[in-house]
Amino acid sequence: MEASSPASHLLVNKSRIRLFGLSFDDCIRVFFGGNAIVSIIVLALITYFLFREGAGFFGQNRQNLTVYRQAGLEYIDFIRAQQDDHTALTRYLSDLRLRQFRHYTQEAKLPVADANAKLAVFDDFAGQFGDTVEPIRTLVSDLTEQASAIKEKFTVMEDKKEERRQLMAEGRKGDADRVIITPVNFAEELKPIIGTLPAYKEASAEFSRRIEQVLATAPVLPTPELQVRMDRFKQLTREYLSGFPAVVSHLESWDYAKPVPAVQALTSFIFGREWLTASFWQDWYGVIPLLVGSLMVSAVALLLAVPLGVGAAIYVNQIATPAEQKFIKPGIEFISAIPSVVLGFFGIAVLGQALRALSQASWLSWVPGFPYSERLNILTAGCLLALMAVPTIFTLAEDALNNVPRAFKEASFALGATRLQTVIKIIVPASLSGIISAVLLGLGRVIGETMVVLLCAGNRIAIPDFSAGLAVVTQPVHTMTGIIAQEMGEVVQGSIHYRALFVVGILLFFLSLGINYVAQIVVRRYRISIG
Amino acid sequence: MVITAPILMDTLPSAPTIRPATAPAPAATAPAGQAAPAAETLIDIDHVDFFYGQSQALHDVSLQIEDKKVTAFIGPSGCGKSTLLRCLNRMNDLIDGTRVAKGSIKIRGVDIHQADVDVIELRKRVGMVFQKSNPFPKSIYENITFGLRLQGVTNKARLDEVVEKSLRGAALWDEVKDRLNASGLGLSGGQQQRLCIARAIAVEPEVILMDEPCSALDPVATAKVEELIQELRTRFTIVIVTHNMQQAARCSDKTAFFYMGKLIEYADTRNIFTNPANAQTEAYVSGRFG
Ligand SMILES: Nc1ncnc2c1ncn2[C@@H]1O[C@H](COP(=O)(O)OP(=O)(O)O)[C@@H](O)[C@H]1O
Ligand SMILES: [Mg+2]
Repeated sequence: MEASSPASHLLVNKSRIRLFGLSFDDCIRVFFGGNAIVSIIVLALITYFLFREGAGFFGQNRQNLTVYRQAGLEYIDFIRAQQDDHTALTRYLSDLRLRQFRHYTQEAKLPVADANAKLAVFDDFAGQFGDTVEPIRTLVSDLTEQASAIKEKFTVMEDKKEERRQLMAEGRKGDADRVIITPVNFAEELKPIIGTLPAYKEASAEFSRRIEQVLATAPVLPTPELQVRMDRFKQLTREYLSGFPAVVSHLESWDYAKPVPAVQALTSFIFGREWLTASFWQDWYGVIPLLVGSLMVSAVALLLAVPLGVGAAIYVNQIATPAEQKFIKPGIEFISAIPSVVLGFFGIAVLGQALRALSQASWLSWVPGFPYSERLNILTAGCLLALMAVPTIFTLAEDALNNVPRAFKEASFALGATRLQTVIKIIVPASLSGIISAVLLGLGRVIGETMVVLLCAGNRIAIPDFSAGLAVVTQPVHTMTGIIAQEMGEVVQGSIHYRALFVVGILLFFLSLGINYVAQIVVRRYRISIG
Repeated sequence: MVITAPILMDTLPSAPTIRPATAPAPAATAPAGQAAPAAETLIDIDHVDFFYGQSQALHDVSLQIEDKKVTAFIGPSGCGKSTLLRCLNRMNDLIDGTRVAKGSIKIRGVDIHQADVDVIELRKRVGMVFQKSNPFPKSIYENITFGLRLQGVTNKARLDEVVEKSLRGAALWDEVKDRLNASGLGLSGGQQQRLCIARAIAVEPEVILMDEPCSALDPVATAKVEELIQELRTRFTIVIVTHNMQQAARCSDKTAFFYMGKLIEYADTRNIFTNPANAQTEAYVSGRFG
């Protein structure tokens, strides 16, 4: 340095490295700050993209529901619901037959042929009851054809419109003008359908009369317990009959031109009990079956993972010798290194098989739901997800336990507590909020997991039958993550189905966000409580 | 009621004379391990060597702790005071690799390191108060009843009674009686330490070990705890580790001076501070090293 005096020499900035006019320190700041900003921008972009793609769904869904109404599908579904309820009643009768059969063969120890003979009267009754619906069934199938035709016309019109729009966009105006668009006059088209109302009323009355007749011939069942069920059946049937006038009034007041409220586009998604796509009749985008599937699988996973993860954390943190710690900790943490597709593969090839084989063991037949035949179901997926959640829960719970001051433990021992008492009464309560947040983050991990549920949950899109009690876990389900992974590749970009999948993604996003948020709140409270 | 340290200084030196069984304290009693003849020995520490793994922390320590007296352990940092104290209720068992390699510690004639001794029972009889106050993150009430509940006491009336008695015993009752269900962590540092003392006396131990109970407290809180020790001395045998020579002089009947893991001198507190037999003791108590 050729500075003249020592004092000014000290004041000169010695850093000679400059980039775009920035000093070295500034560059470092820009580098790290830049990294932070990039991640935030990416997050913002993802959110934006998700919402942009998803938002269009609601308009399209409203259109979807409007066509459902205008083409008369809704009208017919009123009658179809009546038919479906009747089917449910006949199912009740089949169930009742099974119970009687069991009674005869197992309690009365009759041979199968004799049991069937004894059931002849009942079978006759059930058969007659089943036949009562015939007039309605014929009507519905006729109407279905007509309405499908109207919908088809509408779809063709929409396709033509789209074709013309595309030709215009390409600048081929001449070709575009040659595309013929036949507008659909719904009022006109619907006339024949609505015209069947008197026929329906007649059919319905006939239906009702026949049911009354058949009901009067209901046989008396062999045991009081079975008779109670028979009475219940009669009562259900009477309730069913008393609903008929309501159907008529629905049909009478139905108006194809009544606009579908905008909010229904949302509610039919959130509360919709059916996810039905590419169907010939009507597509439904109701998220409930998928949401319930995801929640059920997660619940089973947590039920298994929480005791395992927290228990292992307590053991490693409080009881294990250093040698054991060295062995257990990396072992558990290693589980998270297994690719989830490998776990899913394992689930299909090994776990699903093994669990099913186990369920068929006779000494386990007392377990609800055992034996079962669906190899891939809530239980299989839940077990595997539990395995994936254990490392998360274990690591975080272990951290929480570690944060409990040693002084608490010493004080407890000094008062004459045993190791177990100290763990249960001091260590776990003191770290409880940390453990809860560990569990919540484990839940977040599980709910977002895709590959395992796609491979192992059975992928049946239906709300599981909760009336089965605990056995519900042996039913297959589909999940929110699974449906996105499965269907996203096949859908037409921009279609309502495509957008519906994005809305499922948004819901998933909010669910994870909520879980993480709650976990953070819990952790914050926990820091304060340790003080 | 606030008692300041100077008042305590005035009153305390005369305290030993109140009690009947104090030894006459001639200079000749100086050698370590010599109990005063009239007092009953409660804890007999006999030629103890103690190791943390390979490193020896206590060398051939022998001393007799007398019943219903306050015994102070003094000495420079790292000389093994806490180690010896924690031997008395076997808290060192919690540290891996520790062992008493030689000698024995007997309480009322029972060797506490014998295999058939129930450590849990031992710790109920030998309570402990730590250097840094450590109330549980629970309510004041739950803190005090913790030990009793461990012993299976569930009777609410009995628990209530013990809570009041212990808090009165720890001179904390008037300050907290209206907020027994508030968290113990919400108390001031001095109150927390007295809560820990209340928690320790709630299980009615015979001995209370205190490891520098005032080192984290301000002078006013320290004075309160010292005053409390004076009240507790009639009911409990107290062993207190302290860094503070005045505190040892004010509070204790007997004092043991340790240096580098060895017991250098053990005698009546008055002798240690006025007429130590050992040159090292003298140098330490007069503040020339430590
Ligand atoms: N947990 C431990 N592990 C290993 N060495 C220890 C441990 N605790 C204390 N020591 C050692 O034992 C000696 C005595 O320590 P300590 O009893 O705590 O001293 P004091 O309480 O008199 O300050 C010191 O040399 C210390 O380093
Ligand atoms: Mg110490």
